[in-house]
Amino acid sequence: MEAKPKPNKFVVPIGPQHPALKEPGHFEFTVDGEVVTGASVRLGYVHRGIEKGTESRNWVQNLYLLERICGICSHVHAMAYSLGVEKLAKVTIPPRAQAIRTLAAELERIHSHLLWLGVAAHEGGFDTLFMYSWRDREVVMDLLEMITGNRVNYSVNLLGGVKYDITQEQVDALRKGMDFLEQRSHHYLKVVTTDETFLGRTRNVGLMSFDQAELLGALGPTARASGVQRDVRVDAPYAAYDLYPVKLITDPRGDLEARFVVRINELFESYRLVREISANLPAGELSVRVPRRIPEGEVISRVEAPRGELFYFLRSTGLDTPDRIKVRTPSMGNWASVMTLTIGQNLADVPMILSGIDPCFSCNDRMVRLLRPGVTQTWSWEELRRFGIEHYK
Amino acid sequence: MDTETALNTAEEILKPWTRSVTIPEPNRIVISISRKDLKTGIKALLDAHWGYLSCILGVDFPGNPAPQPEEKMWERLNESEYISPSKPEGMIRVHYVFCHGAACVTLRVAPHYSNLWVPSICDLIPSATLMERELMEMFGIRVEGTPDTTHLLLPDMWPDGEYPLRKWWKGLDQELPESELVD
Repeated sequence: MEAKPKPNKFVVPIGPQHPALKEPGHFEFTVDGEVVTGASVRLGYVHRGIEKGTESRNWVQNLYLLERICGICSHVHAMAYSLGVEKLAKVTIPPRAQAIRTLAAELERIHSHLLWLGVAAHEGGFDTLFMYSWRDREVVMDLLEMITGNRVNYSVNLLGGVKYDITQEQVDALRKGMDFLEQRSHHYLKVVTTDETFLGRTRNVGLMSFDQAELLGALGPTARASGVQRDVRVDAPYAAYDLYPVKLITDPRGDLEARFVVRINELFESYRLVREISANLPAGELSVRVPRRIPEGEVISRVEAPRGELFYFLRSTGLDTPDRIKVRTPSMGNWASVMTLTIGQNLADVPMILSGIDPCFSCNDRMVRLLRPGVTQTWSWEELRRFGIEHYK
Repeated sequence: MDTETALNTAEEILKPWTRSVTIPEPNRIVISISRKDLKTGIKALLDAHWGYLSCILGVDFPGNPAPQPEEKMWERLNESEYISPSKPEGMIRVHYVFCHGAACVTLRVAPHYSNLWVPSICDLIPSATLMERELMEMFGIRVEGTPDTTHLLLPDMWPDGEYPLRKWWKGLDQELPESELVD
């Protein structure tokens, strides 16, 4: 999205490396005094050529590659891919596996929303809220580690099911964790809706009407905070969401405050789902066999990632490698909205508005290049390890 | 509106411009449409408030392409496993995927290598600009009328004629020049 800068206007470049953004993206904001009059975005700083990479890997290897598109919503990428491959292979996975996938997806949503709450609070200068929410997020990170052994790439999915079962001890720990987080989230909701200083940074800031959200293709909580009734878990239930229905959370106000409220209210819904699923896990197997060669065909797999609709297109020509995999992440859909919303706003509000969509650059960019004289561009693992040690000495 | 009704409604809206319809999944139809009718069809969907643009994507079908002006590209094509006199001219299928609840409608155009362009839909859907920029740099498709033709994902110094998501593309022959921003 770009709005052309007018002559004699001051352009403020932000990024790709900037304290306000923890991931690399380049923005140019044209300003008239303190007011933003134009905005443009340049991505690709963490473009890794993953879509191309999938064409030279087999269907199983791609599960691990695609899970690494994003370190925050890794599970939902692997789930969208697995659902698509299973659809192509005409395989139905056992109900218990469906439920465990759904459970992991909701645990991931909880950690993602709590992470976002901290980042957004930090951008607004509320570092106490940032630290408390990230402290509490450790609860759900520990639960994910308890179930899968991993805090980031949980590797729950297999083509044809899941790797991990849930034991009764884990169900008890999940319930206890959800009770604690629910209580804390009530406190956070109270803070973001009553604290005068906080509201000064969020109420009527970054306003996006329902019509604008529709026109700009906003997705996920960003769209729902403008009253758009859209959630793939509700509209086209996948995995076990038909057995454990989700209540759609919306807010018609369209400002930053609404984006906080929608995400925190979605946390309550996720706590309820985690309790309900873990208490009613269907009995049975965890996986079924999926053929190595996937039958010819094209499918679309859509899931609701924490940031909104995640879109996968898979095309098979009947081989053990895909012909084409396309990934459209929710952040890609939300950039247009943020570039439009910043116009007319104070430059100081830009970091808050940017973080309001919960942007993920790694999701968007899907090759890291280190452009320095004398440094080769393809590094071995050992070279990379040595560079890391030297860099942080 | 249930999924079946939504798909029937979309099919009816797009009927005047439809070349063929396929049903790859129960909740999805693919409508083949000519480039000149693409915008009219999309406008009809928008006017009827049918869904939202979920994705624009390309799929390369290399076939036996006509010689390209870029000599380098032609050399590579001769080396590739895709070259065969019996195959038709190569093309890129461009999918415009619209979703309405569980229903998905794909409007598909298929420009050939010798005439590789599609019209921009940014005047109808402004947010399409990012996906059109991705389509241009990854597949080398000209998007007529798109407001911004700069790179979105690839580096600024990326060489012309190198389109990573074409099937013949196996990587750059040489490293990119160093960035001017680096000391």
